This record gives sequence, C-alpha cells and structure tokens, in this order.
Amino acid sequence: MPPSCNCIAGAFSSLRAAPALRTPLRNSARRTFASTHSSASPVLSRIIAARNTSYQLGIRGQKGDAAGSSQVQIKAFSSSTPRSALKTIEQVRARNKGGPFNITAAILFVGTAAGLWVYFTYEKERMARKRIAEQTKGIGKPKVGGPFDLVDHNGNRFTNEDMVGKYALVYFGFTHCPDICPDELDKMALMHDKVTEKCGPVLLPLMISCDPARDNPAVLKEYLKEFHPDIIGLTGSHENVKDVCKAYRVYFSTPKDVKEGQDYLVDHSIYFYLMDPEGDFVEAIGRNFTADQAAKVISDHIQDWEKPLKKDRWT
Amino acid sequence: MGWLPWGSSGDDGVKKTTGGAFESPSRSNRAKCYEARDAFFECLDQNNILDSVHTKDGIAKSKRACGQQNEVFEKNCAHSWVDYFKKQRVVNYQKEQTIKKIEAEGGEIVAPQLPTRGSS
Repeated sequence: MPPSCNCIAGAFSSLRAAPALRTPLRNSARRTFASTHSSASPVLSRIIAARNTSYQLGIRGQKGDAAGSSQVQIKAFSSSTPRSALKTIEQVRARNKGGPFNITAAILFVGTAAGLWVYFTYEKERMARKRIAEQTKGIGKPKVGGPFDLVDHNGNRFTNEDMVGKYALVYFGFTHCPDICPDELDKMALMHDKVTEKCGPVLLPLMISCDPARDNPAVLKEYLKEFHPDIIGLTGSHENVKDVCKAYRVYFSTPKDVKEGQDYLVDHSIYFYLMDPEGDFVEAIGRNFTADQAAKVISDHIQDWEKPLKKDRWT
Repeated sequence: MGWLPWGSSGDDGVKKTTGGAFESPSRSNRAKCYEARDAFFECLDQNNILDSVHTKDGIAKSKRACGQQNEVFEKNCAHSWVDYFKKQRVVNYQKEQTIKKIEAEGGEIVAPQLPTRGSS
C-alpha cells in the first residue's frame, strides 16, 4: 500500500502546488502581453505554425481527393446564379402584385387553424379518457373489481373469467328495490342499446344481486327480462355475494339470516362500474349521468381500446 | 301477518308474501304501487300533512284524512316500500327546503359529481 499512498500524496501535493505556480505564470504572461509581445511570441508562433501545417495538410488531402469536383461545383454555382435570381425576382413581383394576402393563403390559414383546433380538442379529450382509464387501472392487484364466483340467472356458474374480452357494465341491485334500481336498470338497458348500436355487441351488462336470500336465478330471470333480454343477473351464496361486493367496494346491508317471506330493503351503492376487457376498472357512472351521456362515455372508452374485442354474441 | 287488518293476501291488490313483501316485484306491480303512492301523497298534500310515519300525530292525522288512499297504498305496495316512501317524502321535502334556503342566501348548489369527469 505505501506506493499508492505516495502516489496520491504526490498528486495532492502537485494539485496544491499547481495553483500557486499558475498565478505567477499568468500574471507574468499578462505583464508581458501588456508590455511587449516578444516574450510570448516564440511559443505562440510555434503553435500557429503547427496549426497552419495541419490545416494545410488537411486541405492538401481534400484537394488531392476532390480537386475536380470542387471546380465543377464552383462552375455550376456561377452559371446558375443569374437564372435563379431571375426566377425569384419574378416570383416576388408576382406576389407583390396581389399583396402579401390572397384568398388561397387565407383559406389555407383558416383551414389549418381549424384543423389544428379540432385535432387538439380531440386529442385532449382522448388523453383525458386515457388518463382516467390508466389511473384506475390498478398496478398489480386491481383496486376495484377482481375475481368472483357467482351463478347467472339461468343457473350456470359465472365467474370473472366470463367477463374477459368484453367491456362489462356492472350494476349492483336487488329485485325488491323500490324505486332507484328499476330506474337505473331501465337506464342500463338504454345505455346498452346505444352502445351496441355504436360499437357493436361488445358490452356485457351485468346486474349483481345484493340480496341473495330472495334473488335466486329464477327470480332474477323473471325480473330482468322486463328490462332487457341481454342483462345478465348474477347471484350466489351470501359469502360469495359479500366477497364480490367487497371487491367492487360496494356497501350493502343485507341481513344474513332472513325468514321465509320476510320483507326488508337493502341499502347499497348505486354506481355503474365500467370494466375493461381485461377485467380492470375503468370508470364509475353515477346517477347524475343520463343514458345518453353514459352511453357516450362508454363508447368513447370502447373506441379507445386498441386490443381485440370479442364481437360474438354472449351466450 | 297482520300489523294491519287489511294487510297481506287481500283479494285485490298485489300478491304478497306473509311478511308483506312482493311475491314478484314486476313492472306492473311497481306501477300499481307508484300509482297508489302518488294518490296517497296527493291527498296528504291537499290536507297539508307532511309526515305520515314518524309522529303519532301525523299517523293519526293521515289515517283520518286519507284513510282510504292509505289502505290502497298499503295493499298495492310491499310493507317495506310503504315505510320507505313515507319516509322518503319527508326527506325529499327537507332536501327541497334546504336547497331553497341555500339559494335564498345566494349560495350555489353543485350536484355531487365524480371527480374523474368534469365534462358532460
């Protein structure tokens, strides 16, 4: 280790010495420049000489390679000058006759401005939607939604896997709901029709019952056929329904043990959840949206989707 | 069975379970219920009764003035719905009054919107 230590020590000492050495040198150089050129001249002239030789060498090399081409270039340049000058003058004169503005320029200007405005407005909206879709797209585990295991209104098993490849509109409700759910389900039917008209059959309307004690598949089937034949009703055991409600962050207050024929209401959240074809949450649509507004929001998101969508009819 | 003498399983009206719930909550059943509700509420409006569920006085008054409409209402709606609508009437009235009060004071009512979407 001693040699390396010495080296570092030496480097330090030289560093320390350097500024001390430099300052007097600089000072002396300035002094010499101010007083006479003679003291600096030998070094300077040597550098200049060296530069000159290298410059000459470079030029010589270039000359040797493309002496002919440079001559041709010069010729072409010299011969074309008058012609091009004439052309531009004519153009300038022609332009000056009509002044700097003409109808074509005006139309082009306005057209470009309008085009840009339309493009930027569209892009802005698209980016805003993309941001919403990506904001809500969970990293790792999805924040809203997730796996579930339920039974559809025909009595077949229906899991989150059955949602893959299509956009899904998920609504939580119950058949004995007095006024809000029926209104919202009517709206859902309208939304579904509008979206299907615009984007094809790529939206899967789901109604998950928060009241599994009363809403068995048969009841759901009877209930939903009055709204839209495409709406799929889902129910299941109390535990499974509780799990799906938890996954979708839906509050509900279903009593666990109910007597046969008992009458009660279920408080629950009333949002439509739009889920993308990968099962990730996109956006929640509240009651303040009309069917038209909601359909527009959904179709816009569907049109933004770049990956393949299942277009076949859901069975 | 039976918190009301005309309770469930009446000859006319909607089919109900022993607990007073709809047997099948179909569109036509709902329409019948809404119709009966609106008739009852109109009667309450005419008699200047707001609350027909929370106070003893209100219940007695509403039965005296709109007993017949109340009967039809109970018959055509699920027991839980009757309760819900009667309470909703009070809540809606209070909401209306609050909005009026805020507007009279020059405040602005902004409907709760989802934070994600400002446009539409």
